[in-house]
Formats: sequence, C-alpha cells, structure tokens
Amino acid sequence: MPLPAKAFQRWLNGVAPDTSTADICRVSGVKRTTLAQQLVRGKVAETTVVSISRAYNLNPVAALATFDTYSDLASSSLPPSDKELVSQIATVDLLRAVIVRTAPTGSTGTGSTGTESMDPRQPELSPPPHATSVKNWVDAIDDGELRHRVSTATGVAPQNYSAQLTANRLAPELAVATSRAAGVGLAGGLVATGLVTEAEAGWPRGARQAALDRLSDGDLAALSGERLQALGKTLRRQEQDQEQTERIWENLV
Amino acid sequence: MIEILQWTTLIASGAATLSRIPNLVRRKNRSIFYALALLTLAILLSIDGPYLAIDARLGSANVANLLLRFIIFGAIFFLALRIAAGFGDSRGIQLIRGRTGMLALGLISAVMVVCFVLMDTSGSSAGLVDVAAKNQQNALLVEYYGAAGRAYPAYVCLAILPGMLRAIRSPLPALLRMSAALLAVGSIAIPLSLLFPLVPPGLGFLRFIINYTAILCFVVGLALIWVASGRAGRKHRPLPAERR
Repeated sequence: MPLPAKAFQRWLNGVAPDTSTADICRVSGVKRTTLAQQLVRGKVAETTVVSISRAYNLNPVAALATFDTYSDLASSSLPPSDKELVSQIATVDLLRAVIVRTAPTGSTGTGSTGTESMDPRQPELSPPPHATSVKNWVDAIDDGELRHRVSTATGVAPQNYSAQLTANRLAPELAVATSRAAGVGLAGGLVATGLVTEAEAGWPRGARQAALDRLSDGDLAALSGERLQALGKTLRRQEQDQEQTERIWENLV
Repeated sequence: MIEILQWTTLIASGAATLSRIPNLVRRKNRSIFYALALLTLAILLSIDGPYLAIDARLGSANVANLLLRFIIFGAIFFLALRIAAGFGDSRGIQLIRGRTGMLALGLISAVMVVCFVLMDTSGSSAGLVDVAAKNQQNALLVEYYGAAGRAYPAYVCLAILPGMLRAIRSPLPALLRMSAALLAVGSIAIPLSLLFPLVPPGLGFLRFIINYTAILCFVVGLALIWVASGRAGRKHRPLPAERR
C-alpha cells in the first residue's frame, strides 16, 4: 500500500539533490530511524513524503501525485461539495453555530453572509481532522453503495473498511480510492484523515465556514442532532466497556 | 515430566493463594482466596506422596480421595461463580447457582458417595489404582466414581464457557481478553476429561496433561487479570489512596 522505496528515492533526488538523509530528516522532522526502517522494508509511508515536501515548500498533494498510485491526484480539480465541507466541521463547532444562530443577541439568521465569520462571537472553525471526520466524510459522499464499490475496487473487506472508519483512520490509498468511487475531488479523503490540510488540498479559504453559513437552520439543527446522537452512542459504548472492565476488577481482583 | 507438571501446578496455585492474603485481610473478594486454597489442597492431594501421607491419617481407606473430590467441587463452584460474575455472565451464574446447578451437584455427589461406599476401598492408593485392580466390580465402580467426580467440574465449566468466548471477542483490554482465552481453554479441557475412559492405556499421560493444563490455565488466567488491574493503575481502587 505505501510508496515503493525506489520511486521515493527518485523523487527525493529531484526534491533535494545532494542532501544527506540526516539533513532531510532534520529539516522535515521525520525520525531518522523511521525513515531508515521504511527504506529497508522498501515501503515508504505517505506521511513521510508529506512531511518532507512541506519542509521543502512543495505541495504535498502534488508530491504524492508524482507516485504511480496517486498519479490521478494531479488531474483532479473537482472542488469539494458543501456536504464534504460541512462533514469536516467538528461537532463542537456545529453546536456553536447552532447557539450563535439561535442566541437572542446574535444575528437572527437572516444576514448569513461571509462577513459573519468576522463576528467575534463566531470563532474560527477548528481545522480538520476532528474526532469523527473520516466517518463523517464517507457518510457525506456515500450514495448507499459507496462502501461496496470501494471494497470491490480495492479488495479490502467491508468489515475492515468499516473498522478503519470507526477508528477515525483510513489508509491514504483507500481514502483516494473512496473519493474516486464517489466521484468527488480526490484529495478530500486526505483532508479528512488529516494527512494534508484543506489549503494543501486546494480547498478555498473559508470554504467550510461558507458551507456552514449556507446550511439552513433546519439542516444545521438536524445535522448537529445526528452528530450528537452518534457521539452519544460512542460514549455509551465506551461507558459500557468501562463498566465491563470495572466489573471484572470488582469481582476478580 | 508429569511430576514436574504436578509440582509446577502446585507451586503456581500456592503462589496465587498466597498473593490473595492481603485481599483476604482487606475482606475483598474472599471467596477467591478460599477457592484457590481449596484448589491448592486438591492439587496436593492428587500427588502421590502427599496423598499417601494424608490418607494414612484418615485411616488408609482412601477417604482422602473422596475428600479430594469434594474439595474440587467446592473450589470450582466458588471460582466459577466469581469468574461468571466478573465477566457479567448472568446466565452462567444462573446455571451454577440456580436449581439446575444444585440438582447437578446433589445428584453427582450422591452417585459419587454411593460408588465409594460400595467399593472395597481399603489400602491407600492415589487415583485408586490399586483399588480398581482388586476385582472386576471394584474396577467398574472406580470408573463410575471417577466419571462422577469429573462430571460436576465439567458441568460448571460448560456453564461459564459461553461467557468466556464472548469476552474474548469483546472490546475489553487485550490482557483481559487473553485471560478470558486462558479461562476458556481451561473450561474446555475439564469437560474433555470426561472422555478419559476412552483414552487408550498407552496414552495415559494425556490425562495428566489435560488435568494440569486446565488448572494452570485457570490460575494463570486469573493472575493475568491481577496483572491487568495493576497495569490499569489504582484509579478503580480509591481505598488505598484515601488511606494515604
């Protein structure tokens, strides 16, 4: 799944010719032992390429596109959909928006324009990824058959795919495959998994805030409700697991 | 080889018992201490030397063997109840402590005692080997007696097995799941001992291996839970912190 070491070496030569590995590691913050290990195994992680390209002021998405697995990243210019953008807003930020819109002293929701983001009561949205960003992103672009299509395209078993989503993880290759299968901008999944930032993926500045502002009060409330419900389920499951462990301590320790 | 396994099991079980003394003093889950103490005693009684020494005091009529069986019943009863309670297996508790469980215990005990009384049991012999060799009738009775003695532990183990298998696949911490797996292996091994009469005499050592691995699995499984609890820190035990 990760990038072949040979291709990586070739890319690295182009990016930083005549630079020692030690220097590259120092500049990019990649641990030397980590990189050495990845080179020995012949598989270099995408995060390594991202860190190094950032250190050399390259766009990480463009850098990834130089590798065969990700070559179509370069040609992809689809902008993110509103649903995708909103999926990358943290639940707390959504709730804050609900409060701001319904607060008696705030604007009553009629004048929702871009200027509102300058409002001191509406602090900047926290950058992606958030605690459930991967699952929310897939849900946002899922037409009901998406998981099935990704599974057929990549050969990854549906339950393994779901397990990654639940853990808020998704291998970069799978993230791109998911975008491809959904017919959306290819870098969206990389944002949702936190591999690259929204700016690096070419999302316009303030796009998430704008998408949020375009949400009607009803949609915002419904969406926040969904998020809260999912959060409640997760928390309850954690509490149950904790209880189960606690019961073992109580009876057997 | 078998001797080593026997003594290892005895030492492991004895060490586990000793490690429960602080909790015994603190009155915390005392039944685990009693169960382990009984288990240690049972292992001691199942080893030739100690068995002969103890049985000699009890009149050399193999009463120690009958005692051993009831000690095992007691140990397994208390231990299984604790384990089922710990893993939240209410059905397992019901099966052990409920009417079915009590009926099984009573019936099996009755069969065991009747067999024992009908036997000519004079002459100490670990595992009643010499008793069985006396005559045809004795051999048959020893067989039934032994089967009855294994039946109750087997019943209890089967009662808690589903709970253990569930725990292995649950989202519990890895150490606890490992412990559940060990307990499950033990719970499978003990019912297997019901098949002992079918084991050809040449493979007699299998009996020992199954018996003692079952006990080792139980003891190590429990010990793992204590390790896991130690690892998890003491936040779930506010008592010592307050004392400090």
